[in-house]
Amino acid sequence: MAMALPRFPNKRKMIWLAALIVAANGFLPVLWILLTSVKTETELMRLPITILPAAPTLQNYVRVFTDQPIHLFLWNSFAVAVLSTALCITVSALAAYALVRLRLPAPGLILSVLLAIAMFPLISLVVPLFQTMRSLELLNTWPALILPYAVLSMPVCTMVLVSFFQDIPNDLENAAMIDGCTRVGALWHVVIPLTAPGVFTAAILAFVNCWDEFLLALTLSSRVVKRTLPVGITLYQGEFAFPWPIISAALIVAIVPVSILIAVFQDRVVGGLTSGGMKG
Amino acid sequence: MSAATLDKAPPKAKPRLSPLERSERRLGFILLAPAFLLLAVVVLYPIIELLTTSVRFYHLAQPWMGTPFIGLEHYARALSDERFWESTLNTVLYIVITVPGAVIVGLGLALLANQPFSIKWPVRLGLLLPWALPLVFAGLIFRWFFEYNQGLVNNALGFFGIGPIPWLTNPTFAFAATCIAIVWKTSSFVALVLLAGLQTIPKSLYEAAEIDGAGKWQQFVEITLPMLRPAIVVALIFRTITAIQTFDIPYAMTNGGPGHSTETLAMYIHKTTIDFLDLGYGSALAVLMFIVSVIATTGYLRHTRRDPRKA
Repeated sequence: MAMALPRFPNKRKMIWLAALIVAANGFLPVLWILLTSVKTETELMRLPITILPAAPTLQNYVRVFTDQPIHLFLWNSFAVAVLSTALCITVSALAAYALVRLRLPAPGLILSVLLAIAMFPLISLVVPLFQTMRSLELLNTWPALILPYAVLSMPVCTMVLVSFFQDIPNDLENAAMIDGCTRVGALWHVVIPLTAPGVFTAAILAFVNCWDEFLLALTLSSRVVKRTLPVGITLYQGEFAFPWPIISAALIVAIVPVSILIAVFQDRVVGGLTSGGMKG
Repeated sequence: MSAATLDKAPPKAKPRLSPLERSERRLGFILLAPAFLLLAVVVLYPIIELLTTSVRFYHLAQPWMGTPFIGLEHYARALSDERFWESTLNTVLYIVITVPGAVIVGLGLALLANQPFSIKWPVRLGLLLPWALPLVFAGLIFRWFFEYNQGLVNNALGFFGIGPIPWLTNPTFAFAATCIAIVWKTSSFVALVLLAGLQTIPKSLYEAAEIDGAGKWQQFVEITLPMLRPAIVVALIFRTITAIQTFDIPYAMTNGGPGHSTETLAMYIHKTTIDFLDLGYGSALAVLMFIVSVIATTGYLRHTRRDPRKA
């Protein structure tokens, strides 16, 4: 007992330290960018470097929007991510439902084949996708990205949806079908609403996947007005060297939307990632 | 959830199907069609295109040459192409360093995060934020960290009288800097997977070990690690698949430099195709890269024949 008492506050301190390390590891790099984004260019040239901005300014944020069409980057990223997520969820939900319910021969094998094809390293397909999109004259258009992005997220969406559909009792659909619903009607009116959390989780994961993708966007959509955020910011051309204050401000503009999304839905995101997660 | 459990879910199809079952099965194939159509357009057709282009001369800057069949010339060229071997070696080094690196750091983060915190969100968001950050953004952030004069790292080291270190202009340091960035970015996903694994370990095991007089380290080695093995394997596999495709972070930090010291196979393919417009050679390199990735992933899969998620 005498040993245990003084150890108690010590243990609490250790727990706080553990929390601090994990949080700092995640937040500090972004915090540093945030601090950089409100410093002036002259302050950044000064040595030794300052940690807190001497004279905080929002000038860099103004220049983010005037120097480059970042509103277009935001719009392209958002539109491509939403449309490809919608496409991915639709095809994955139909496939997952067929695999779980519809007496297909060897559904496990079909699922494995589907996943194996969808997980083919897209990087090896950059050349032929570039060729195909070029001959279809789809380079620098949204569809050139939407189609591959839908495949990019298909494995995780299909896995998450299959596991959610498996938990829905068959009787509910049977009842709906006795009441005159068709199979597809039962899927739409019974299964999808009941598995809404699963569908939503899959959608968030797919959205973040598409929002983050870089290589295909760089290859298939490099014209300035068609760039997505990752491409637009990385190819940001400064007059002299890399314009770090403006880049930092641009990064903050790009990071905020997704950060809010994952902050609000963190439980679902963690659940989805760890049940069917397959993203680095 | 696994392919194996799915096979058991619906009752085995009888040799004779009732009309209802037959129509259900037909509907099943119809519902599968959109997914496979999409895969055919985005994956299967491009694979055929890839293979046929790789055995042809196909150079967008020399359209007058046409696209004659040249057999395996591109593959022969790759085998004697120093830059191909250098970028392959770099890719392998990135796999060998950053995959175990991310798993070790991720395990550390998971153990730290697996504490009875009263407020959970700062820790969870601290793990989610690096995961949600685009890889190129992580690359840009670390490029700013490792900047020679104004970078945080050199200034912090300077405080202790070390450096300044030419992080991004010396081949060895540039490779180290990109590895650090990759490990930071990818370890949080590993930590999330391992944290989920940690939370499934029954508390009673530790209580029993405590009664038997096992120390913390012994508990970690005898209980935590073996119980966590399936989750570690999942993390290793996914991390390896992504590490083979390493592109974004070196691209943003060094663009493959200095020289070609941080250039990966994916970056070389991209440069060959998009900058040099040599689609034929780029395709052959992509085929070779696919072979490398198959070898690397089956290496891991052989280790883990059993479905790791069933645990």
